[in-house]
Amino acid sequence: MRFSMQREVLLKPLQQVIGVVERRQTLPVLANVLVQLNDGRVSLTTSDLEVELAGSAEVEMGEAGEITIPARKLFDIVKALPDGAKVELSLNGERVQLKAGRSRYTLAALPATEFPQSEIGEVVERVKVPQAELKALIERTGFAMAVQDVRFYLNGLLLERRGEGLRAVATDGHRLALADWNADGEPGRQVIVPRKGVLELQRLLGSAEGEVELAFSRNHVQVHLDDGMLVSKLIDGRFPDYEAVIPAVADVPVIIDRDELRAALQRAAILSNEKYRGIRVELAAETLRISAHNPEQEEAVEEVPAECAAQEWAIGFNVNYVLDALAAISTEQVVLRLRDGNSSMLVEAPESKAIRHVVMPLRL
Amino acid sequence: MAVSPPSAERAILHVDMDAFYAAVEQHDNPALRGRPVIVGGTGRRGVVATASYEARAFGVGSALPTAIARQRCPDGVYLAPRMARYAQVSAQIFEVFRSFTPQVEGLSLDEAFLDVSASRRLLGTPMAMAAALKEQIRHRTGLACTVGVAANKLLAKLASGLGKPDGIMQISPEEAVELLAGLPVDKLWMVGEKTATRLQTAGIHRIGDLQRAVPALLSRILGNRAEPLRRLAMGIDERPVVVNREEKSIGAEETFDRDIDSLDAALAMLMRLTERAVVRLRDSNHLAAVVQLKLRQPPFVTHTRQRQMRPPSAETGTLYACGRELLEQWWQAQNEPALRLLGVSFELTEGQPQDDLFSAQRKPSGVEDQIRARFGDRGLVRARGLAKDS
Repeated sequence: MRFSMQREVLLKPLQQVIGVVERRQTLPVLANVLVQLNDGRVSLTTSDLEVELAGSAEVEMGEAGEITIPARKLFDIVKALPDGAKVELSLNGERVQLKAGRSRYTLAALPATEFPQSEIGEVVERVKVPQAELKALIERTGFAMAVQDVRFYLNGLLLERRGEGLRAVATDGHRLALADWNADGEPGRQVIVPRKGVLELQRLLGSAEGEVELAFSRNHVQVHLDDGMLVSKLIDGRFPDYEAVIPAVADVPVIIDRDELRAALQRAAILSNEKYRGIRVELAAETLRISAHNPEQEEAVEEVPAECAAQEWAIGFNVNYVLDALAAISTEQVVLRLRDGNSSMLVEAPESKAIRHVVMPLRL
Repeated sequence: MAVSPPSAERAILHVDMDAFYAAVEQHDNPALRGRPVIVGGTGRRGVVATASYEARAFGVGSALPTAIARQRCPDGVYLAPRMARYAQVSAQIFEVFRSFTPQVEGLSLDEAFLDVSASRRLLGTPMAMAAALKEQIRHRTGLACTVGVAANKLLAKLASGLGKPDGIMQISPEEAVELLAGLPVDKLWMVGEKTATRLQTAGIHRIGDLQRAVPALLSRILGNRAEPLRRLAMGIDERPVVVNREEKSIGAEETFDRDIDSLDAALAMLMRLTERAVVRLRDSNHLAAVVQLKLRQPPFVTHTRQRQMRPPSAETGTLYACGRELLEQWWQAQNEPALRLLGVSFELTEGQPQDDLFSAQRKPSGVEDQIRARFGDRGLVRARGLAKDS
């Protein structure tokens, strides 16, 4: 195997795939990137056994072949080479030689046959989604995924088929984020993509036009992009009944300017308790009142004009959860739907159910 | 809705249970009520920990050798302390404290400072809070306490001392100077034995003497501590209420008569230990943030393995599953796995102030605790815990 190409052309797919290479591996070959040369294209593949990433680029000249090379070292060397350098890689016995200008590197290689490429099995469903829409779905929900929760099925993103469309749901038990794309049909197949797969996919997706294909098998999802691919195992578990926790009778609507509310929350947050990030919300006629205090007994009070009626109760929230929810909605105004001082809050856009966020209250 | 600014003056409560250990015993055993009850070391060299007010009438008090107490009060009921029970009652008391403010500084099982300054707007005047707090403690535990109310710790503690028993006493800054004046200097918290002697040599015996002392004289005796001490003597004390962490972990462990060499038996033991520790965990109203196993191989090599719980939990099943994974991993990594001792402990975290969206979709395990409280530890066990020990 031998090929050469511009540094920048090689760097781009390397950047795409380097994310899943862990610093410590269970298998030595997982520290390596699988390099395969075929028909004038080089494809690079990395894996951590849960997520597999591939990227490819055209080469200037090459002889077919395949090998695995220490991924991070290759990435660091290529990144540090001067702009415009021409990089040549060639296999020499059990070593790979890299030449660029007057630089020469010899890297230890492992045979390509040792690299555990995923077998995804029979594809049972395919969905085509515009790339930008898929990216938006993830950006609007992914932040609510749990981290190393014992409820392992929460450490990922639920993707649910809805008619011809797709719904994404994530929750860590304290808040829940839901976003729909074209989802006006009946609920269909549900899969849970693990956290790491979701974050890598988010990195991979650009704002480019064009569609992305998601192919689901029993245990895997494969995402095809123009110049890359992601395969992720699915979490084998049942996502909780998320619809049951989206408040149905939240009959105290508050219509409010999103940016104004965000700014007020960000200011009040400065004086909230560092651990619980609590803020207190009260409703007066045409006014939403936010207050926060910390153990030093400092106090913040903010009043934001809103369309709402006065209520007798007050309710507490973790201000970060509310800010996350507001960041995921892009309309000028948002609707906060409350019920009483102890029930969860629904945050959504004024005339759409496509993005919904549920935030549990904090006991004051 | 305007906010009234919090008064610049702090509101500090000092709560002290009345004859705590003895009162718990009298509460738990009505036959003891009205009788002199002395809790303490009952052995030859024991001393009195707490004497009920009935016993105090005989001149029996804390730190008195029990042998002397028996001479002064031969008809008293002498009991060995049941610390576990007192701790349980203490947990209830502190729970009441924390319902008034998170700013609670515990001094012992039965005594604490509460900074309720920030609670005034919500809960009313400090005196009203003191009354409500006394009432709630009586309601929850059946016990009496005395509450001192003042603008700082020094005066709050002084107040509770004056209000005992079963009282509420407030000291205003104006009254403070006069009240303090009559007390001996070593009542001030900065004054230890040595300082007291030095002050007395200079003719300063009472706090009143300190109040009137010439600053230059005080400086000569006390150096740079003169000014802070003079301020204390005037009833000015700016020490904050320092929230202290309570118990940090709860656990259970057992050393075996015969080494355990089957994984099944080890898991059964783990389940029993987990159940035992979880009951106490739930009693403490905390959640486990970390599960830790202590594994001792014969003859004496001890390993620990631990894992974070996300989210923190107090459910037997969840905590057992976590411990089980740790135990299985350890077991598989040993050449000849065997256990001489197994322990499980939970690092505690405050109960989460935030409810879980899916808590209704899970079953609570509080019922188990009630069954065990009624029928004892073996009243209800998981089948897993019944496997043979070896």
